[in-house]
Amino acid sequence: MNRSLMLAGLAVCIAGGAIVNRMNYPLWQENFSPRKDSDLRGLSGDQLLIALAGFREMVAGILWVRADTFFDEGNYDAILPIIRLVTMLDPKQIDVYATGMWHIAYNFTDEQSRSDRRYIPSALALGAEGSKNNDYTYELFFETGWLWYHKIDDDYSNAAKWWEEANKRKDMQTARKNILAMAYLRDGNMSGAIEHYEELWNTARDNFAKNPNDFQARQNVDTLEVNLDNLLVRLAQRGNFAIENGTYDQYDYDTRPPYDVGFTAQVTVEDSKILRVEGTWNVQPVGTRVRIVLRDKDKPNLRPAALKWDQGTSVDLEPEKDMTFMQDGLFVKNQAFFRRIDMARDPTMYPFNSDNYVIEFYYNPRSAPPHIQDRFGFNGEGMTDKNYLNTEVRDGQRVIYAQLEISRDELLRQGEWATRTPVKRTIGFIPTGARNTEEVINVPGLRNDVQEGQ
Amino acid sequence: MGAILSIAKTTIGEAIRRRVLLVILLVGVLFLVIAPGLSVLSLRQNYTVLTSFTLGVIQLTSAVIAIVLTVYLLPNEVERRTIYTILSKPVYRWHFLLGKYLGAVGALGMMMLLMSTVLVLVFRIMQQQASMDDVLQLATAPIFFFVQMSLLAAVAMFFSTFVSPIVNFFLSGGVYLVGTLFSPVFQDLSNNQTLPAAVKGAATVIHSIVPNFAQYNIQGGIINQGPELRSIELYYVQIVVYALFYIAAFLIAGMMIFDRKEV
Repeated sequence: MNRSLMLAGLAVCIAGGAIVNRMNYPLWQENFSPRKDSDLRGLSGDQLLIALAGFREMVAGILWVRADTFFDEGNYDAILPIIRLVTMLDPKQIDVYATGMWHIAYNFTDEQSRSDRRYIPSALALGAEGSKNNDYTYELFFETGWLWYHKIDDDYSNAAKWWEEANKRKDMQTARKNILAMAYLRDGNMSGAIEHYEELWNTARDNFAKNPNDFQARQNVDTLEVNLDNLLVRLAQRGNFAIENGTYDQYDYDTRPPYDVGFTAQVTVEDSKILRVEGTWNVQPVGTRVRIVLRDKDKPNLRPAALKWDQGTSVDLEPEKDMTFMQDGLFVKNQAFFRRIDMARDPTMYPFNSDNYVIEFYYNPRSAPPHIQDRFGFNGEGMTDKNYLNTEVRDGQRVIYAQLEISRDELLRQGEWATRTPVKRTIGFIPTGARNTEEVINVPGLRNDVQEGQ
Repeated sequence: MGAILSIAKTTIGEAIRRRVLLVILLVGVLFLVIAPGLSVLSLRQNYTVLTSFTLGVIQLTSAVIAIVLTVYLLPNEVERRTIYTILSKPVYRWHFLLGKYLGAVGALGMMMLLMSTVLVLVFRIMQQQASMDDVLQLATAPIFFFVQMSLLAAVAMFFSTFVSPIVNFFLSGGVYLVGTLFSPVFQDLSNNQTLPAAVKGAATVIHSIVPNFAQYNIQGGIINQGPELRSIELYYVQIVVYALFYIAAFLIAGMMIFDRKEV
């Protein structure tokens, strides 16, 4: 055997292999490499070994089966780390990202089914990471937008931003494209909504012209026509076009004159961490929910009646343990609301570690149902309140916002408040006792000529 | 050539009679058969769990078979002294080594074919709505696992010319781990413009010597049915060519050592 020849052959093989490997690397990186965002720090030794040996997807699949069992058992706490592990192991598992976001944002609740909103920044970060790792598909852009639109329900510019990205993806479902117009509307971008509907309508008509026997194509044209028609009628009746061209004051639009919602509220600390909230809201039609927030007075990442939801791209599965943030909706019936809020049974969700707190009441017509918006308008131009109309806490919007301060001693009924009952009231509070006992709900209109209860 | 093929044929016969390999194979097939039960547990991701688990089982079982099968091939012949009978005939040592390797790869291929058949059957039964394209796409992964395991067998064959089977088992396993995990890392380092030239050079050398097993892990695209893969045919051809180069390199190195070894 000629050793020189073999040595030469060995060198050629190694050199050839190395060249092919370098040529192949860009394709491997693009097609098969887990993205750089995936890290494996959360894995135990055996999981790490198997994952590193090239069995990431297999381990991810097995873990996801385990998570499924926990879902069925209602053991939600156990699912959280598994979701994180699966996304680390296999960052291409879109369903795990989507389920994880939903789970983090919605499923951690207290005994009265209020979700722990301190988790929402983590859910958003997970969505951002998933979108980055799977930017070829609309799915996680859409899911993240949905979180802004539905769960946060107060910052629609972000929903619109994510859905704009979703709409750029080729696989975006036709029916889902419409919702971007709703986000534009709730963001106060009326022209954006009209343009988006028109664009979709034109595309749908072109598609229908090419496929005249396609029922789905026909249905899509019809749906968009109805949506666009409704939108234009609503904008006209609410006076949005008139506001744009400066003739709003000259005609009798549905949103004129502003309707006084007559907001008042009282909070009684019945027992330690148990609040009795009642108040008035002079709007008869059913469908109003006034947001109530109880939060630390001075902590970072807080803003009026909300958190700073977008807190970066780090997926932290432990929410800020020291922070207290309770959010609930006060359902209005017969022009009054009443709710007993019990935070005593969930000490981890409501730690009450600060000395001072604020109770906030917040109402934004952008989150209201259409029949309320017909009277109040998208930006609250048809709504007023002599004490609590606010144009500062949400830029460019007229919202109802009231803030009451309360101390830790008052909330926990300790110190001087151990034997006294703390009561906090807004200006001009009207007792609601009689209204709350009515079993019949009266439903008059909101038009100017039928302002009952004023 | 006749001698090589005869040795290969005999090696296949020996391999399929080895109980330890058959047990490993049986365990692998059993896992494949119970895999649908596992995927049913996860209704949310039935397809993903089924494919990730079954492909993982095939890859893991094949890796164990490839190493266990190959590490004993040469030492057993020496220990049982059957190698003298063979080498006393007009058979070169490199014939013997190459025949043994081809036999190991042949046996490995047969076992992987059996597992892949079970995989396809299970998939067809569990995913009845799946198209033929889906089945073909799924079957692509075991093909490249086979290429990967052939490379691993060459590594084990190389080590078996100078180390004991136990040491070889861990050495080959270690090379597989390093080649799976660190090849992309070393490739990243060698492409990093901000690193000193010496570090980049060292990374390039290591990356060139340690076989890159990571590039055969193509199951991610099949399991998650993600984006359209770019130039995939070219990629497949290149990783096969890469494997041929490295298999040849390990066999040549093995032949050179085995040629001078006292048996």
